[in-house]
Amino acid sequence: MKRKLFAVIAMGVLCSGAFAARSGKGEASANPPRPADASSCDRECLNGFVDRYLDAVVAHDPSRLPLTKTVKFTEDGQRLGLGDGFWRTATERGTYKFYMDDPQAGQVVFFGTMREAGTPVSLVLRLKIENRKIAEIETIVVRQGMNPARPNDTGAESFEKLGGPDPLFLEAIPPAERVSRDELARTANKYFSGMQMNDGKGDYSFFADDCSRVENGQLATGGRNTMASGSAPDNSYGVLAGCRAQFQSGLLHFVTRIRDRRFVVLDTEHGVALAFIFFDHAAGNTRTFQTPDGKTVTAGPTNPWTWEMAEAFKVEKGQIRRIQAIFHRCPYGMNSGWSSWEDSMSDKARW
Amino acid sequence: MRVKVLACCSLGFLLLICAAPPMDTVLAADRQCNRACLNGFVDQYLAAMVAHDPSRLPLAKNVKFTEDGVPLKLGDALWATATGLGAYKLYFAEPAAGAVGAFVLVQENGTPAILELRLKVVKRQITEIETLVARKETTSFLNTDNLIVPRPVFLETVPAADRPPREEIVSMVGKYFDGIEQGNGDIVPFDKDCIRIENGIQTCPSSASSSLGALSCGAQLSTKIFTYIQSVSPRRFPIVDDERGLVLAIVRFNHPATSQTVDVPGRGKMTMGRYSQWPNSTEIAELFKVKDRKICEISAVIVTATYKAPTGWE
Repeated sequence: MKRKLFAVIAMGVLCSGAFAARSGKGEASANPPRPADASSCDRECLNGFVDRYLDAVVAHDPSRLPLTKTVKFTEDGQRLGLGDGFWRTATERGTYKFYMDDPQAGQVVFFGTMREAGTPVSLVLRLKIENRKIAEIETIVVRQGMNPARPNDTGAESFEKLGGPDPLFLEAIPPAERVSRDELARTANKYFSGMQMNDGKGDYSFFADDCSRVENGQLATGGRNTMASGSAPDNSYGVLAGCRAQFQSGLLHFVTRIRDRRFVVLDTEHGVALAFIFFDHAAGNTRTFQTPDGKTVTAGPTNPWTWEMAEAFKVEKGQIRRIQAIFHRCPYGMNSGWSSWEDSMSDKARW
Repeated sequence: MRVKVLACCSLGFLLLICAAPPMDTVLAADRQCNRACLNGFVDQYLAAMVAHDPSRLPLAKNVKFTEDGVPLKLGDALWATATGLGAYKLYFAEPAAGAVGAFVLVQENGTPAILELRLKVVKRQITEIETLVARKETTSFLNTDNLIVPRPVFLETVPAADRPPREEIVSMVGKYFDGIEQGNGDIVPFDKDCIRIENGIQTCPSSASSSLGALSCGAQLSTKIFTYIQSVSPRRFPIVDDERGLVLAIVRFNHPATSQTVDVPGRGKMTMGRYSQWPNSTEIAELFKVKDRKICEISAVIVTATYKAPTGWE
């Protein structure tokens, strides 16, 4: 009995030590990926899994895929049996394709377009590969019906007009300028921390001067962002051009919580970080606030509103140059299906 | 305990106390919350919500709160945005289960929405709070204009002799969902004049000008126009108000969107509703009035949900 008790206490000490180390950083790499070995999957291999997966989806046939026994699949945050949801309704692959690879973590995220019963939809797909089998499948399908802010636009047609990802995302960072995974994630995470309860008074030097953001296929930093919260033009960050100017305006205050920040791709070779996150808009007394120029503003959604989102960042020399996001509205406060309730409600970044 | 009881009785002058029910039974009876008590909890809840102050409530330590199927901290979501209450309030209760529910009109930053609230009360503390909020943005149809007072039928008392046992009344209501799944109104014990009101809008009987023509609730199901609802699952029946013949069902309709059209007998191929267009679900709180062992009125609060999203209480 005493031995058992000792063992339990020892375990407890170890666990609490690990927690302290993690929580002490405020943001954390909970499970740093092991270095790649001979059996790992390189970029070509990862992208090949994406293509195989999407072809199998269009064929409505999961049996075509090499799956681990415990493979887990979610669509829009809900755990489903593989073959259900978009697997039943997908009819064709689209033309927009953007692959983001993290061979070290065995993960790949794909932004692309598809057809569902003939209708264009935008898709986010994350695959985790273990021993050349698919172990995790996470998807977001942006459809007309779930996006009241733009009920007739899933972003797919806009993405396809762009033709492909901004070439900057695909350029390699010179070896001498590459940063660690931790530093890459920390820089990208400054975007979320700067936007949450934005007051315009932070240090936004993490934005490059030429930073731009594309949301669901449309430029959101060109000064004509029609998605900017439905606020009156005078109170809308969307009429401001540039990433930094929008944050300096303090007009994004109504984004009350950016939570469950999971950085699932950290590609140090290309300076690309990708996170799944939720943007909560509590829509209560946080709707009325003061901007740095002393103006009292009421802006943002009038009812509790959450965006379910995947957002990619191109980081160079410690600054964010490009941002691309795919998102839609989901039930307020929803879990991703990949986090504990506590982690899903936390604004701490994890990678 | 026996020694104590014997000692007590031997004193003689406390005979009366010894003959009384055990103290814990007395306390339990005292703690049991009747209809008025349960309704009081709803009033208290709504007042605290509009004041944005959950601390005003007697809450159990492990109280659980969901809005639209999502577990949240009490104080979040509608608690932050509710700015007032409308006149429309329909309460129903099952005191033996410590269960009470309500359909209430609320104002959210000045815009009306319909709140469905379910509370569970144990020892005069709230242990469970389940809510659905039908908002313009979170449902495909909503009209609060006619929600002024509850329809009288929901408040009528059913004579004691005409109250089916819980199991039987739940089974009757369950047949409604079976009828939707099977596209067969004949298996549902509908009263011939049954009315269904969803998010404030009467959806059956349909009017002569509707695409289906004038049809009763049962006939509407038999057209198979609801074929896009592949399953009604999960199904829960958390409140049976037997005194009023009311059953609250909380269910999820699943729409996999594998087909958008259906052959309607006598009408040919028809396009089904917008929920047939992409995989989605609806979370629904549905209140049934059962009279003379027939479903005579249905009132529902409906929220669009992610396909097969948990209701939070499975």
